[in-house]
Amino acid sequence: MSEITVFTARKIRTMNPSMPEASAVAVRDGQIIEVGTLQTMKPWLDAHPHRIDESFVDHVLMPGFIDPHLHPSLGAVLLSCHFITAMEWKLPDRTCAPVRSHEAYLARLKEIDEGIEDPAEPLITWGYHKIWHGAVDREAINAVSSTRPIFVWQRSFHEIIANDAAIDWMGLDRAELERHPQIELDSGRFFETGLSIAVKAMNLYLFEPDRFKNGLELVKKAVHYGGHTTIGEMAYPLLDDSAEWNFLGEAIERDDVPFRMQIIPRGALRGVWDGEIEDEVARVESYASRGSHRLIFGNGVKLFTDGGFFAELMQMQEPGFIDGHHGEWLMAPEMFEALARAFWNAGKRIHVHCTGDLGVELALDTLEMLQFERPRVNHRFTIEHFGVSTPEQVRRIADLGALVSANVYYVHELGEAYWQHSIGYERASQMARLGTLARHNVTTALHSDFTMAPALPLNSAWVAVNRIAESGAVIGPEERIDLDAAMRAITIDAAYVIGMEHEVGSIRAGKKADFTVLEADPWETPVENLKDIPIWGTVFEGQPFPIAK
Amino acid sequence: MNGRIPIILISGYLGAGKTTLINHLLAADHGRRIAVLVNDFGAINIDAALISDQTENTISLTNGCVCCSITDDLGTALDALTLREELPDLVVLEASGVAEPSRLARHAGNWPGFELDAIITLLDAETVQLRAVNKFVGQLVKSQIEAADLLVLTKADLVSNETCEKLAGWIETLAPGVSVIMAEAGKVAPELIVGLPARSNLSQTMKEEPHEDNFSTSHWTPPGPIRKDNLIRKLEELPSSIHRVKGFFVDADTGEAVLLQRVGSRFSFEDAPTKAEVGFVMISAGSPDELERGMKILSSIVDVSPLHGPSVVHFN
Repeated sequence: MSEITVFTARKIRTMNPSMPEASAVAVRDGQIIEVGTLQTMKPWLDAHPHRIDESFVDHVLMPGFIDPHLHPSLGAVLLSCHFITAMEWKLPDRTCAPVRSHEAYLARLKEIDEGIEDPAEPLITWGYHKIWHGAVDREAINAVSSTRPIFVWQRSFHEIIANDAAIDWMGLDRAELERHPQIELDSGRFFETGLSIAVKAMNLYLFEPDRFKNGLELVKKAVHYGGHTTIGEMAYPLLDDSAEWNFLGEAIERDDVPFRMQIIPRGALRGVWDGEIEDEVARVESYASRGSHRLIFGNGVKLFTDGGFFAELMQMQEPGFIDGHHGEWLMAPEMFEALARAFWNAGKRIHVHCTGDLGVELALDTLEMLQFERPRVNHRFTIEHFGVSTPEQVRRIADLGALVSANVYYVHELGEAYWQHSIGYERASQMARLGTLARHNVTTALHSDFTMAPALPLNSAWVAVNRIAESGAVIGPEERIDLDAAMRAITIDAAYVIGMEHEVGSIRAGKKADFTVLEADPWETPVENLKDIPIWGTVFEGQPFPIAK
Repeated sequence: MNGRIPIILISGYLGAGKTTLINHLLAADHGRRIAVLVNDFGAINIDAALISDQTENTISLTNGCVCCSITDDLGTALDALTLREELPDLVVLEASGVAEPSRLARHAGNWPGFELDAIITLLDAETVQLRAVNKFVGQLVKSQIEAADLLVLTKADLVSNETCEKLAGWIETLAPGVSVIMAEAGKVAPELIVGLPARSNLSQTMKEEPHEDNFSTSHWTPPGPIRKDNLIRKLEELPSSIHRVKGFFVDADTGEAVLLQRVGSRFSFEDAPTKAEVGFVMISAGSPDELERGMKILSSIVDVSPLHGPSVVHFN
């Protein structure tokens, strides 16, 4: 057995209500031995060799942050792009200062263009937002460069604007593009179904192996940078199991990686929703015997109801969308029910992607039916994302014993946009209704679904307690939660949602020695500044990992 | 002719009979090189004697047809078809049961190298009305009906005639004027689904009528050039049981050869090859009377069009 290391700190916020604060934590072989003060843990220290590590005497320790739902592969694609954003984006390799005018946008684009040596290398920039950056069109980007292919990827991912060099680079007949109702060659806009034609060309570049690998290294840094020590990959595999499994093993199962990842398999493989149910259950079960120290297949499984929230394809109950369009189902409701039943009866913890209130309704109707057929307690059926819901649904969630893992960042990024352009104020201001969940004592986690939100738990918690929208206004104040609830949602309650609360999520004897080391105490910081608390780094299984400055 | 490969989208909720229809279509003797793209590759069931080659995601048939799995991305699957040694005459795309057909049609029908021919929606006669009021899929099922150029009522043999008539009336309120084909299970005459060969000699297909598969074709050779606007007016008057109209004619305004294609209520005009033989063909699953009525409507165009030129025109 190794020597005990005692970390002393200005304060330890344990997230264990039985001993909420401490000043020392003793660690051995990656495990917490005792929490308290140097004085209270004296019997352990007298009995075993130990050393006192005072590196954190000016810091505040919290349990290592947990994001139960993010997607490393998608993150890898985005992080290898150039960011020009209206909001500040703090990334491990750069901080992107806010750019908030048309002129500033084009100046920054020019600057990036001039910084790339190879004149033929495509430039893909993400973060463009018309409200802040005005109309950036083909001609405007041609003026930046007439030779380099430039793709301007809109903040919400649903539109790309290309210059002439980029349109030529796609290698397609212009007549084929001109006839497309969702491509405007004059302005260079590719949107909705036209978008896939531009993305197809961009993917040749974005998924180029070295570039993608580099992107994944950036994702690893981003996970560390946010203060995480545990994450959930909430839908595995993205494309191909054997390739991805080898790759993840290579990238993540390394001594220098300061986090673990629980992998939650898809209950049905992408594109083949009509497969045999027993085959899907057998496939999911077959993953369980794999796993390594940092990569864990737990008991979870991921299912889907309705479409994407940023794409406005969530299924909405009446009165639907202002423009009258309809959302979509990602799998047929009958198929969802059949899969949910099979996994429910197999004793699985079911996570369901639900974005609109009709999607939530389907998940809850199904859960209610399953509870009738074969009651289970402590099943941890979890609603993932939780964009639009009704107060009555929250009550049912509570009654049925379900949990929620919410992407509360929707409120900040989309609250006002969806008020103006999608579903109106009442429902938009109440998206991610965390306050109601808290009033019904529903265990709730916060997630980023990175790249849908920044992989920064303190930022998610900041949105949850403040509900400050893009313009700076507060929307849906009744749905704010208090700081305790928000901090639980990125620690112990997030652990509970992925069935790891016995191992991580709070600082107590017996758990993994995972800490997030903060420069300030969230409970002594004005809540409006929560997201700005600097993170020194993390301790993963007893080993300190400072964030590179 | 623009060289784009036409796409027929087969839409319909779970259990509507899409796979049965596709199995039937693949094995049928229709003389056309069809590429079928499906979601559920495992459900494809073809007589082994008709299979010439099979890989993990593709089945090639002796009749020149091919069936491919849309493993992940539709665009990738379409691109792969354009790389085949022999390009397909047309693509039949099986939509997933939960696809909004109009959205999918915009996507597939505008993919470089392809164009939409028709959206055909299959409806399960036994369940469609219940589904249409279901709180989760009601809107979707109605969208699938509303987007269709042709509707196929499958399992019509499993419900009473009275129910069938009521169904037809209900469908008419959602999709006024759209043809409805009644089918046993998913067995529909391939001609009703994929039409007649675009570049074949029309006079060959005109000889046979009626057909054993309970549909009929009829033809008419216009005596001279026709004005497009007059033709459009006649097309709009046709009975809804006329599912498809295809014709080569000389445009009276330009003197150019034109190809007309009409599926359901949608039609398009394209430049035709100069060697095309003029003539119109109609396909119908309705009563012979209605087909005759349709022909009368179409041929009455000569009354409003200035007559000149010979009765049969060959272009050189």
